Amino acid sequence: MFRFIAADLRRHWLGVAAIMLLIALATALGVAVTLQERALRLGSARAAAAFDLVIGAAGSETQLVLSSVFLQPAPLPLLPGEVLARLRADPRVAWAAPVGFGDFVGGYPIVGTTREAVEGLGRLAEGSGFSHLGDAIVGADVNRDIGETFHPFHGTVETAGDVHEEVEYEVVGRMAPTGTPWDRAILVPIQAVWEVHAHRDHDDAPATPVNASGPVAAQVKAAHEEAGHEDHDHAEGAAHDEHDHHGHLAEEVDDAALMSADNPGVPAIMVKPKSIADAYNLRQEYRRGNTVAVFPGEVLTRLYGTLGDARRILSAVAYGAQGLVAAAILLVVSIHVLQRQRQIGALRALGAPRAVVFGIVWTEAFAILAVGVLIGFGIGYAGVSVLSERLGSESGVNLPVEFQRSDLWTMGGFFAVTAIVTLLPALLAYRQSPARALRS
Amino acid sequence: MLDLAIDGLEVRFRGLSEPALAIPSLRLAAGERVAVTGPSGSGKTTLINILTGLDRTPTGRVVWKNTDLTALSEGARDRWRARNIGLVMQDFHLFAGLSALDNVLLPQRLSRFRLADAVREEALRLLSRVGIVRPRQPVETMSRGQMQRVAVARALVAKPGLLVADEPTASLDAESGGAVADLLLELTREAGSTLIVASHDARMTDRLDRVLRLESGRLV
Repeated sequence: MFRFIAADLRRHWLGVAAIMLLIALATALGVAVTLQERALRLGSARAAAAFDLVIGAAGSETQLVLSSVFLQPAPLPLLPGEVLARLRADPRVAWAAPVGFGDFVGGYPIVGTTREAVEGLGRLAEGSGFSHLGDAIVGADVNRDIGETFHPFHGTVETAGDVHEEVEYEVVGRMAPTGTPWDRAILVPIQAVWEVHAHRDHDDAPATPVNASGPVAAQVKAAHEEAGHEDHDHAEGAAHDEHDHHGHLAEEVDDAALMSADNPGVPAIMVKPKSIADAYNLRQEYRRGNTVAVFPGEVLTRLYGTLGDARRILSAVAYGAQGLVAAAILLVVSIHVLQRQRQIGALRALGAPRAVVFGIVWTEAFAILAVGVLIGFGIGYAGVSVLSERLGSESGVNLPVEFQRSDLWTMGGFFAVTAIVTLLPALLAYRQSPARALRS
Repeated sequence: MLDLAIDGLEVRFRGLSEPALAIPSLRLAAGERVAVTGPSGSGKTTLINILTGLDRTPTGRVVWKNTDLTALSEGARDRWRARNIGLVMQDFHLFAGLSALDNVLLPQRLSRFRLADAVREEALRLLSRVGIVRPRQPVETMSRGQMQRVAVARALVAKPGLLVADEPTASLDAESGGAVADLLLELTREAGSTLIVASHDARMTDRLDRVLRLESGRLV
């Protein structure tokens, strides 16, 4: 029986392939909609997982989340420095780390933050954490090795600004992959960012080499000498001859400085509350006046609501397409069976039992359609994987393309529908009288 | 080896006042070799369909040895036909994409759970007997004469008691037709099977023991 089916499928391979392809594409459409929506939802939710509470200056909540969690560059209003100081002193706060952006290098955003953020976001895969202002920790996907040095550029990746020639960071650590846009970020101490921008704002010629002039440079140099860091040179430090390895950012990171209310502002602060109750209290407290506090999860849920509507529409379109394809193919298969009634009659005349003829037609039709459905799941998965890979590398958000238990039910449902629908041509064949089939 | 007894057989088609086939009584002895002749529309095919159980018998009785076909359901007639009848048809009804051997074995494969080795050997023996040198050759690459010879081998592989051939030579040239006629006669004699051939072909009918001539559904 299977040999006969195989020979039959081989003989009509072109038509079989065309039908399989149609089924596969129709299936893939629905699968892709489900998988892609899930990938976006899971990916963004996972990216936001480390951010319990984000506090920014009053403005768009969505933009605050996009800028802090997803590092989408946007000019955010700044929070006054005292907010950070107050949060860090708050007993309900486990830790509060600023998210300060504004510089970039080689397409990677530089984010000024504190060592708590490194632990909060993930962990170091290699190297060490911040100890000096000139230390930088790179995200897992940043193409910089430990020991490399770089000058930051002012502005954002899209709007290239001037290079901060006088500032040099050295990569001292690398984060383990987090699957978030932070994998493409370079973390530096927020104090360094403040200092760089204070220096830049006070200096008329920002491109002048280090140690040139300016009160801040002199100040910093003095501080650096005080700190007695001449002996800090690494082996490669020799290559940077005159100016010291860390430039004027050789000072040690002093977290106590964060407690000063006179600090420059930051666009966003990520806050780890000690308990859920604390989280809600803080959120309520910082939603007044000139600050806004959001749970990123909440903002994302609102976005998913919109996304979900789009998915429902796309799913309906996909189901419609699947229904049409199924109906068209059923028609084709039924016509095919009727056209081949002579062959089916001959099988019966030669002694094949009716049940076997029924089985042959059903198995053949079901095999074609079921394989089409399977291929469709494959195509859908592959398509979404490619798309997510591309979207993911653009945004830095790791978009997980994965099947869930519910997909098994969907697949089972597809198979069940296929099994039932293919009964029709099988019954057509079953009911044919062999004598009449041979006569025609 | 089947004896046939037909009593009061009458087949009517809707819209026709005269019966398409009416045979009050007919007896065939086991091993007999019978030709059924007559012009087109005389009821040859109808008779064959009744004799092979392809069609239900509306009135009368058709009894092969101890089996009353009129009393059997469609499924039971299928099983009976698979066990007792070898069929050779004008259009061969071989299945493209399968080799000659697979075609010979197909009905056995479809009606039995497992193919016995003996059946396979018998198939090869019959194929070589009908002059098919390459049993693995796909049937669609064969000549019409070869195809009908494969069909003859297929009809005989289960050692049926009755071989029914419906115009076996009508679509063949004289030479191939002659060869097929020879084979049918020789092989049924070897097997001792009853042979019923519906045919216009005098080369075929003249060589059979008995000729049943049908005209307008009646034996003359």
